[in-house]
Amino acid sequence: MISIDCPREPEALEAACAGTWPDRCDEDLRAHVATCAICGEVVEVARALREDHDGSWRAASVPASGVVWWRAQMRARAEAARAAAKPITFVQGVAAACVVGGAIALAGAAFPWIRAWVASLPAVFPALDAAAADVPALVSLPRWLPLAAIVAVLLAPVAIYLAVTDD
Amino acid sequence: MMRDLTLSDVEQLQAQAGELDEAFQMDEDTFRAFYDRTARALWLYLSRLTGSAPLADDLLQESYYRFLRAARTYESEAHRRNSLFRIATNVARDNRRRVRAAPSVSLDNEEAQPGLRTDPHAADRAARRTDLARAMAHLKPRERAMLWLAYAHGSSHREIAETLGLTAGSVKLLLFRARRKLAGLLGGAALRTRRAGRVGL
Repeated sequence: MISIDCPREPEALEAACAGTWPDRCDEDLRAHVATCAICGEVVEVARALREDHDGSWRAASVPASGVVWWRAQMRARAEAARAAAKPITFVQGVAAACVVGGAIALAGAAFPWIRAWVASLPAVFPALDAAAADVPALVSLPRWLPLAAIVAVLLAPVAIYLAVTDD
Repeated sequence: MMRDLTLSDVEQLQAQAGELDEAFQMDEDTFRAFYDRTARALWLYLSRLTGSAPLADDLLQESYYRFLRAARTYESEAHRRNSLFRIATNVARDNRRRVRAAPSVSLDNEEAQPGLRTDPHAADRAARRTDLARAMAHLKPRERAMLWLAYAHGSSHREIAETLGLTAGSVKLLLFRARRKLAGLLGGAALRTRRAGRVGL
């Protein structure tokens, strides 16, 4: 069975990391490391990694703490705004669909009245008089209803724009 | 070194940050003190784990963001630090999965070894670090992380287990295997360097 540790491994690691290997450590430890494969690998790997770490430490370029904090704040705020906007966007979509559906329904209901209203203006549009004669007189609808429908269709996009815009 | 910021930049950032009301698990002063204690070590860890200094910059920011967002309480400074390194390990792993490409550890360029610019007499050390970078590139990410934490960062087996999401019992064996692999690679690299030196003479 292969042994994966050595009782003197911490000692060898300490010497490698403290920079005392090989000149400033015990002769006994040097003799041991020369014959122990595990400690030999520990010293070799630890020295290489420690040297790389120490050489890179001063030159490591990291952003200032205030910048990292500020970026994190900005990102958290943006994510919170996005999360809050999800249900609002859904409701806006439903509202827009309702407005469009209502406008179409109103326009459909008002269409016969519009034709009747056009038929009542033969003096202004004589050419339409003949066409209006074919239309039954459905003038029982209140006169304000089609006007309201037209106004709704025209104003709905403006209302949606004002609702969704940030400013 | 910290990147240069002008006074007006700092004032502007502080003014903008003051307008924000987003709360993290930590107040700004505590975070900044913690950041100053951990950022360099974390950046070095990420740069060696990914093999890319620019990528380490991005992952550093992401790691601290996730750390701030994590609603956790910490028993001690060491626990908090280990949690940060664990988050960073996960961030690096997520990034690796996203790009689905093997990391190219290319620390043999000047950008990745800024020490060369300030220490022109470090040719031997630079050669050894280049050998190390090339050898590390042949290791699996978990092996790189484990070796760096154990021998460069000085973490205990328990801390390594906590950071990498392993059991403490498995760390000893995995570390042994990773160390043996790296020692073999470094031995080969050293031999090649010596041969190249002789040829050069």
